[in-house]
Amino acid sequence: MSETKEEILKVEGLCKRYAKKGDWAIADISFSCYAGEMVGLLGHNGAGKSTTLKCLEGMIPYEKGEILICGNDIRKKPIAAKRNMGFVTDNHAAFLKMTGIQFINFYADIYHVPAEVRQKRLEKLEEVFCLGDAIQNLISSYSHGMRQKICMMASLIHRPKLWVLDEPMTGLDPRTQDAVQKFMRSYVKGGNTILFSSHTLGVVAKLCDRIFLLRKGQQVDSINVKEKYAEDPNFNFEEYFFKYEG
Amino acid sequence: MKGEADFRVIAALLKKSGQERRSMFKEKNFDFLGFFLRLVLTAAIVVLFVVFFGRFCDVYLAVKTAGKPDPVTRGGELLTILYAIVILGMTVGCLGLFEKQIFKADDNRLYSALPIGANALFTAKLISVYAGQFAVSTVIVLAINITYGLHAGVTGVFWPTTAALCFLLPLISIALASLAIGPYQLLKRFFKEQFVVLFVVATALLGVFFWFYSIILGAVKDLLLGDSLRYFFNDRVIGRIATVASLLYPGRWIADILTGVDLLKGWLGLVLFVVVGLAIAIFMIRFILTRSLQERNEGTDYFRRKGKKVKAPKSTFYALMKREFLLIFRTPSYAFSYFSVALIMPLMVYFCMDIASSLVMDLVGIKCDLELALFLTMLFGALTNVFCGTNISRDGENFYVLKAMPVGYKEVMFSKVTLCAIVMELSQVASAVLLAASGLLAWYDALFVLAVGSAFGLVYICVATRYDFDHAHFSSEENGEIHESGGTMSVIVVLGMAISFVTGGLLFLLRILDQLRQLGVGYLTYILAAACASLAVAGALFYLLFRLRRKYYEFTGGGL
Repeated sequence: MSETKEEILKVEGLCKRYAKKGDWAIADISFSCYAGEMVGLLGHNGAGKSTTLKCLEGMIPYEKGEILICGNDIRKKPIAAKRNMGFVTDNHAAFLKMTGIQFINFYADIYHVPAEVRQKRLEKLEEVFCLGDAIQNLISSYSHGMRQKICMMASLIHRPKLWVLDEPMTGLDPRTQDAVQKFMRSYVKGGNTILFSSHTLGVVAKLCDRIFLLRKGQQVDSINVKEKYAEDPNFNFEEYFFKYEG
Repeated sequence: MKGEADFRVIAALLKKSGQERRSMFKEKNFDFLGFFLRLVLTAAIVVLFVVFFGRFCDVYLAVKTAGKPDPVTRGGELLTILYAIVILGMTVGCLGLFEKQIFKADDNRLYSALPIGANALFTAKLISVYAGQFAVSTVIVLAINITYGLHAGVTGVFWPTTAALCFLLPLISIALASLAIGPYQLLKRFFKEQFVVLFVVATALLGVFFWFYSIILGAVKDLLLGDSLRYFFNDRVIGRIATVASLLYPGRWIADILTGVDLLKGWLGLVLFVVVGLAIAIFMIRFILTRSLQERNEGTDYFRRKGKKVKAPKSTFYALMKREFLLIFRTPSYAFSYFSVALIMPLMVYFCMDIASSLVMDLVGIKCDLELALFLTMLFGALTNVFCGTNISRDGENFYVLKAMPVGYKEVMFSKVTLCAIVMELSQVASAVLLAASGLLAWYDALFVLAVGSAFGLVYICVATRYDFDHAHFSSEENGEIHESGGTMSVIVVLGMAISFVTGGLLFLLRILDQLRQLGVGYLTYILAAACASLAVAGALFYLLFRLRRKYYEFTGGGL
């Protein structure tokens, strides 16, 4: 199925280490994501999920490998590559001295979103994330969850083909988690791609089409969730995951 | 048992605090040069103080009233006024430490969830504040007392009292700061997020301070030029000084002890003051600490803008600059140390030029206004642009967010440089206009000073930005605010002073040679200044851009 679809993200032989002669934080990671699918990155703490995501977001350099976003190499054509991507970091880094609406306008300016489109998109995003009047407040006054919401809203204002999220459900209340999950499904149905990391096995198993398992910086398995369930209706994802975790 | 447990907790908290302080030396990107220059600058300030204070002691202690010298009384007045100023300064510093270590510390939230009693936390924090104040007081007390002791005949109690003062002075400032903390917090609440009002008030206060400073400088100049220093301290002036000194408690008690005039009254007053003050301090700080902890956990930080609207699209560069501007303007400490200083800088240049112009003419006998203006513009330009040494660090982790956005390294870096350049240019233009309008410089010279000043301003901005990029240190506080001046700032101060003194010195020398030997090469000032400025700009731009693309994409700094 995936062969016929557009390749949105291609990671090939990615290697990264933090100290010059230190151990590899991630070693030889390779995977692809296609239009219209949701992909999960799973692994224990320190497995290399965030490092992988930071490399493909262009936040940190890497030693070996290739990352292509919509055919653009993140190292050689970083601007073109990043234009097709929206990202939400695990620490919800936001510009605290801006109000929510200023923050979204800033992102819209950076991604060249026309004014008439911004308004419509903002209205839709508000329906999902329900920030209400708080959008007029300084981000420094936001709670953890509200910061998470505003970061998600800003990262979607340009309708990226690839939406990358590091631990997206952390800090969200159950109602918003549900709304975000529904939104993620509809976003993918619209032909976009989502790649996210998580520790919540249930969420990953429920949402993702494919899952990549990382362990100690190495890619240990790739699971096609639908195929697995088709092969074995009693497939227990948690057992499967813990088998790899030892 | 409980006391024992509390004592262990206090020890653990203090150990943690010490480990955090020491950890900065172990950081991979620790800026040794910046740290070393900070030490050098501090040492230079102390040496300058010792030299000037020593000379002033000689003059003041020899002053006669009713035809007779009275060094003990004069010494008492001098020490009273000096210690009153020191106590005031340390109290202001202590307010800052209360703010940083007690009320605003990010670890408070974590502590409130740990089995740490309020008493233990409070005591550990107070000891931490005391330790900081003790370090400062030791340097100040030793500098003052050793200098005074060597220039005045002192009694046997002087040196033991000096040692005791190092320990006592922090207690006095803590006591006074605890009295001031209530009104200070009220003022803070009033001004909270009233960014414009706060900025206007802060700038006005800074302006008044510099105006007052210029009056003092002017008086010093008049005294020096008129050879009236020894006649200045006549009976009438000394009478006024004595009246003021008699009111400045607790400085008066300290002076009474040091000079041995009234040991009993001095010690009694000081000990009573410290005991009562500390009792109030413990009550006030505990009360405010509890309240601030609650507010912090409840998240009452609130600010709302009118209207909710999506704005018309702006260019990427404009958006980046606006973001930069908002970050500075909406952080009161940043707005004060950059925008306010930049606004007031022209006044400082004008005041100093006004005073120094006639002073140099009278001392050297040669008119060198242009050289003086160039020197002052370079020097104050450096002080204004010291803030640019936080251009990267103040972004904190958001610098990585910018890296992940579809904007090039040039846009990110140049948006920062451009905003600083605009601020610098406005300040330089105001300075040139002021110098020309006041008649201190001809309009064409003012234009030349503007061009050279702008060039050197750009140099400071470029160097500060790149140096900070290479030695970035992100704040670990929740609001990402940088509260301490880093090593980068010291580097820029030293660079600015070196440029000002070397270039300014060369220009002065050239002018003096020209005038003394009638060489008729006055135009060389223009050529030399322009050449230095051009070379410096070329060098700074090269430094800013050298391997910047590679370094930007490989950036993993910040120390987080």
